[in-house]
Amino acid sequence: MPQQLIKVRPTKIELVKLKRRLKLAQRVQKIVKDRLSILTMEFLQTARDTVEAKRKLVDAFAEAYKALSIATGYHGYIALEKELIATEADPKVVAGSRNIAGVRIPSFELRGNGKPLRGYNLVDTSSWLDHAAQLAEECLEATIEIAELQRSLELLGMEIKRTKRITNALEYMIIPGLQATIKYLDMKFEERDREEKGRLKRVKVLVARG
Amino acid sequence: MPNSSPYEKMLQECLRGELRVVNAGLPRSQKRLSALLLEEYPHVICSDGSTHFFKRRELEYLASMMNSDEQEALLLPMLIELGANQAEAAMICQTDVEEKVISTILKMPLTPEKGRITIYKPQLALLRKKLKTTTQYVFFPQNP
Repeated sequence: MPQQLIKVRPTKIELVKLKRRLKLAQRVQKIVKDRLSILTMEFLQTARDTVEAKRKLVDAFAEAYKALSIATGYHGYIALEKELIATEADPKVVAGSRNIAGVRIPSFELRGNGKPLRGYNLVDTSSWLDHAAQLAEECLEATIEIAELQRSLELLGMEIKRTKRITNALEYMIIPGLQATIKYLDMKFEERDREEKGRLKRVKVLVARG
Repeated sequence: MPNSSPYEKMLQECLRGELRVVNAGLPRSQKRLSALLLEEYPHVICSDGSTHFFKRRELEYLASMMNSDEQEALLLPMLIELGANQAEAAMICQTDVEEKVISTILKMPLTPEKGRITIYKPQLALLRKKLKTTTQYVFFPQNP
């Protein structure tokens, strides 16, 4: 596709300005490309982590339900429910943010509630319940991890899309347009020089004839 | 004839904007690992005024691979410089501790040159996987 020329006055000053503009555009392109490559790398890494975390989450929930079923079978539903009322706790999730190449990504971290024991009576319960409780905690951790990863994935994806549009505009529109205009002006000045030389020669001949 | 200045202004603004955006996550000042371990919510303030949180798990992982003197010397977040070459990046090493950390994570001996350790993209991905919040990118604009 022929590049559209930028409408400028065919003067040397404009040519200098255009060359400066081209240099600037190439610098912008370099930064944007670097950023795009970093964002893509981070996106792929996050995608891989998300798949891994999802698998972990599914496994953790399957294990937790299995352990809870066994514990229920062992203690009986009513006894277990009575014990579990005492275990109610507010999990503390620290929410912050971090920055990846200009994209603000949420960051979650599960902190313990500061209690060394889970709350139920250790004398009346068995290790089956301990195991179920431990697995349930793992489920909670996995859920928080997946929440962070999925949001990161969305934000990175949106930023990649936006950056790609800028890169394409620079690569296929702005820079080729500037280059074509510079080439056109260069050719125009060369042509003008040749015309000038021809004119001078003619004048010289006319002067010589007297 | 259209005036050229808005066009140039737009490009300038684009460059300035991109630089501002990509380096917005840079910390105003780095903190020592030993100090961060004592904080309840370990974080640094970024150049755009936002906060960058560190994960305690990562800090503890870093602390596990060094003694107390090294914990005192290590400044976080560690900076990864992206410059002229797209295929590689450079880790800025202010002390020897960064070198030790990267060597341990990448499981290979590395030598800094002029205060920088050159690492390639696959190694960078590995490093970022382990140290998501304790490393940060720095973009340096260079002439094409």
